[in-house]
Amino acid sequence: MAKVIPRKPLTLAERTYLPQVLGGLKTTFKRMVSPNVTLEYPEERPVIPEGYRGVPTLVKDPDGREKCVSCQLCEFVCPPKAIKIFPGEIPEDAPTAHVEKAPRDFQIDMLRCIYCGLCQEVCPEEAIFLQEIFSVTGYTRSELVYNKQKLYELGGTLPDRHFKWEKKRQAAERGHQH
Amino acid sequence: MPTLTIDGVAYPAEPQKNLLQVSLSHGLDLPYFCWHPALGSVGACRQCAVRQYRDENDSRGQIVMACMVPATPGTRIAIEDEEARLFRKSVIEWLMTNHPHDCPVCDEGGECHLQDMTVMTGHCTRRHRFPKRTFTNQYLGPFINHEMNRCIQCYRCVRFYRDYAGGRDLDAFASRNHVYFGRSEDGALENEFSGNLIEVCPTGVFTDRTLKNHYTRKWDLQSAPSICPHCSLGCNTLVGARYGGVRRVLNRYHHHINGYFLCDRGRFAYEFANLPIRLRHPVLPRPAAAKDGAGRPPTAAEAIAAIRTRLRRSRGLIGIGSPRASLESNYALRRLVGPDRYFSGLPQGESRLIAVALDILRDSPARSPSLREIAEADAVLVLGEDLTQTAPRMALAVRQSILQAPAARVAALNFPGWMAHAFQNAVQDDRGPLFIASVDATRLDDAATAVLHAPPADLARFGFAVAHAIDPEAPPVPDLDPETADLANRAAEALLAADRPLVLSGTSLHHEALLGAAANCGWALCRRGRPAGLGLVVPEANTFGAGLLGGRPLREAYELVESHQADTAVILENDLYRRSHGTDVDRFFDRLETTIVLDAVQTATTARADILLPAAPASESQGTFISQEGRAQRFFPVLPPTDPVAESWRWLGHLHPDEARALRSQEAMLIAIAAEFPFLAGAREAAPSATFRLNGAAVPRSSRRFSGRTAIHAHLSVHEPKPPEDSEAPLTFSMEGTTTAPPAALVTHYWAPGWNSVQALNKFQDEVGGPNRGGDPGIRLIEPRNVPRAYHNAIPPAFNSREGLCTLVPLHHSFGSEELSRLAPAIAKRTPPAAFSLSPADARERGLGEGDTLSIRIYGRPVRLPVRIHPQLPRGCVGFPAGWPDLAGIHLPTEGHFE
Repeated sequence: MAKVIPRKPLTLAERTYLPQVLGGLKTTFKRMVSPNVTLEYPEERPVIPEGYRGVPTLVKDPDGREKCVSCQLCEFVCPPKAIKIFPGEIPEDAPTAHVEKAPRDFQIDMLRCIYCGLCQEVCPEEAIFLQEIFSVTGYTRSELVYNKQKLYELGGTLPDRHFKWEKKRQAAERGHQH
Repeated sequence: MPTLTIDGVAYPAEPQKNLLQVSLSHGLDLPYFCWHPALGSVGACRQCAVRQYRDENDSRGQIVMACMVPATPGTRIAIEDEEARLFRKSVIEWLMTNHPHDCPVCDEGGECHLQDMTVMTGHCTRRHRFPKRTFTNQYLGPFINHEMNRCIQCYRCVRFYRDYAGGRDLDAFASRNHVYFGRSEDGALENEFSGNLIEVCPTGVFTDRTLKNHYTRKWDLQSAPSICPHCSLGCNTLVGARYGGVRRVLNRYHHHINGYFLCDRGRFAYEFANLPIRLRHPVLPRPAAAKDGAGRPPTAAEAIAAIRTRLRRSRGLIGIGSPRASLESNYALRRLVGPDRYFSGLPQGESRLIAVALDILRDSPARSPSLREIAEADAVLVLGEDLTQTAPRMALAVRQSILQAPAARVAALNFPGWMAHAFQNAVQDDRGPLFIASVDATRLDDAATAVLHAPPADLARFGFAVAHAIDPEAPPVPDLDPETADLANRAAEALLAADRPLVLSGTSLHHEALLGAAANCGWALCRRGRPAGLGLVVPEANTFGAGLLGGRPLREAYELVESHQADTAVILENDLYRRSHGTDVDRFFDRLETTIVLDAVQTATTARADILLPAAPASESQGTFISQEGRAQRFFPVLPPTDPVAESWRWLGHLHPDEARALRSQEAMLIAIAAEFPFLAGAREAAPSATFRLNGAAVPRSSRRFSGRTAIHAHLSVHEPKPPEDSEAPLTFSMEGTTTAPPAALVTHYWAPGWNSVQALNKFQDEVGGPNRGGDPGIRLIEPRNVPRAYHNAIPPAFNSREGLCTLVPLHHSFGSEELSRLAPAIAKRTPPAAFSLSPADARERGLGEGDTLSIRIYGRPVRLPVRIHPQLPRGCVGFPAGWPDLAGIHLPTEGHFE
């Protein structure tokens, strides 16, 4: 059984629509004079806060040595399994031979990356950082699989607080008992 | 039932074992380093500390090392005792004062016993502030990488290398904090079992150098159970792969065969499967390929169509099998061409040798021994075979056998054999009887009671003399020199006095009389009521499998083609240039209208093929090998062969015009084999069939931590591809599958929670060091039968060297004599250059010194090689490197003319 709800008759002010029109105009004029909240992206760029988790990148130490030693822990921990590492040996005559290993190639599939930052957290060498880049574009799938060179370009150099491999080299020079 | 108590729980007492072994066998986690089931206890690392109580009234107890206390009835221990726990934690802490924090660059990382034990004990904070001691590393050859800083001084490496494997060039140097494990100088580790250091070392001091070429963490390896294809012993292996290539080979525990150890050939030869000489596409004759347009290699379907056309036109088809191809592949070929036109792929002489060996073993009162039985024998006679070079793992087993007799003698002292130091003290230099009769010095001579170096004929005469000395009814040897006769009597005496005597021989010298002599010895022992073992080493992984299918010798195939009764040949995984003389093979190919070759790698024979089909090597295929013991064992592909590569039996199955369905699966192939050869019916039971499921799921080849699954194909597609399906095996090419430990024939990984290293194997055995849980894989097809056998009596005349002539003797080398392993780069680095080996007397006579060039005419063709002088080689014999391409295809026995 349908229930009949009687319609309340409109008042005179409501019937003229004027209070609503004026209310709308008030909001419009207020916004015309208040400061902007949007950015004219891409000409204007947002300020990236400290600790922002953007695109994962590889970094070098102040001596220009690639910090990654291809231990593959980030590949291991990555939830969407977006990382692919080909470990390699550093040749024995290289100046950084004491580090033993560096990636032959290091690929991150940016289409798969979920920016969780677990790679940065797990890295025992402080070699991978999620930095401020947030916009990734390309025309093909393969363009968006970033290789080692691209990741180092994006990453740049970060200060090293530990110099752990330098300590290893010094110990080797000091020690060498047989 | 007498019991002991661990943490208040009663377990059955096992007084012949130690508490550590018993605890681990019951699934309790107790950390350890220096103990190894095959090496015994020394109590050096102090890691397995537990609290032991005198009786139920004792509440204080004392800390003891579990590995040094027998699990006698009434023993009460606590693993979870607070003080014992702290003790174990501080042991790790002190090991960690010097262990580098370089797990990220360490190859052992992720499968490191030290990592596992550190986590297990709970040590996590470093309190020691001082620098770590460092060492210089050594170059240890192409197999092993050395990183001494990681050492925790457990001494397992030298205990394995020196005490177990008989190596001399690895030792412990210095003392206290500076103990150094290495060689006296840089250089390749000489022992043929050095690769086991990788698995024996609980941390990353010794790691796989070949793995560094394509490093992959353990959790990323896709692994499958396989059988080593590089000799006839059938050692069980775990092959690991990633990105479409084989990455490494690990030992897969088999209680009766390889136990914990592999030889270096089996471990490091895998790289041949990754080389550019691998065949990846069919090759068709030019006219057929041309219409496809340039560039595109022919597909499998085109190749099959082309072959079918040729087969229809053919005026006579023959098939040449191979002892290195699986049982299924050989059978598929035999079925394709018919039994009358199936050839074994072996030359006349070798074909006959294999037939004789099979005849000796199949109806024999003496048992064909497993490697374990060899290690447990207490008197061994090796007749003519240089085991270290032809069947290396067997030499390691023989080396253990010499401790059996002393072990029985010190048993009266009433201490368990696993107390390694006490055992060594009690035994001192006492060694059990091992008699070696060989042409040249062997790497086992240092362990032998007595050795005889003589030409093959004289070795056989010695063998017959031993048999006669054991049982006077065995034929006597006329005109035997007194020295050999005396040695024969000594050997016979030792074998008769033993509880488990053993005679080993083989076909490597291509001397039939040696097999007869060995058989006589074994049978004579049986007639005298001794439970004798009789083992015969054959050249290749499936020599017995191919031999059991029959097949005519190669010579008859040549004759058939010569007489125009055949114009088409299908050659299965066989390089004929290694089997016969080059000119004969050339002539054979010239006469053939169509040559169809299936092989995994390029060989001299594939170069002569009109149609070439890419076959999958053992690491990418499924099949059955029959080992020299007579054991049928299944191997599974670690990778699906990339299209159009396929197993040979699959190719051959497709070629059958009418039997489309009968031979399309391996299972169907085995059923057909069983129907035709009831003797081989057991081969079907060698491993669970394709329909086997555990808790409703197949066994995964990848680990549960397998990473990069979606990233591997990311540049190609957004979709994660469906993993390849395996319709032949109860294994999957993915990480999805059962999480329960599978039967031993299907084990793909050794992993258990908290146990990431190979030591997780403890969790896969019924008891630590015992058989695999659920039984060891493989089916023995050859069992002893108590049938009367007439003694062999073809005793050869004594050897006489003749002026200007020499008897050519094949000298085998562990790294180089086997066809496929010599292709692997690491093995090739250890392969010595080809040379003629001369006795000092012969060299002096011809005025030759080490390194001079010697020319010997063989079949009228001069062969020039540098000279190497072997002091033990008998006069009149010239050793040539067996299996080297320079000298392939020599039919033995033969003589050479000095030039």
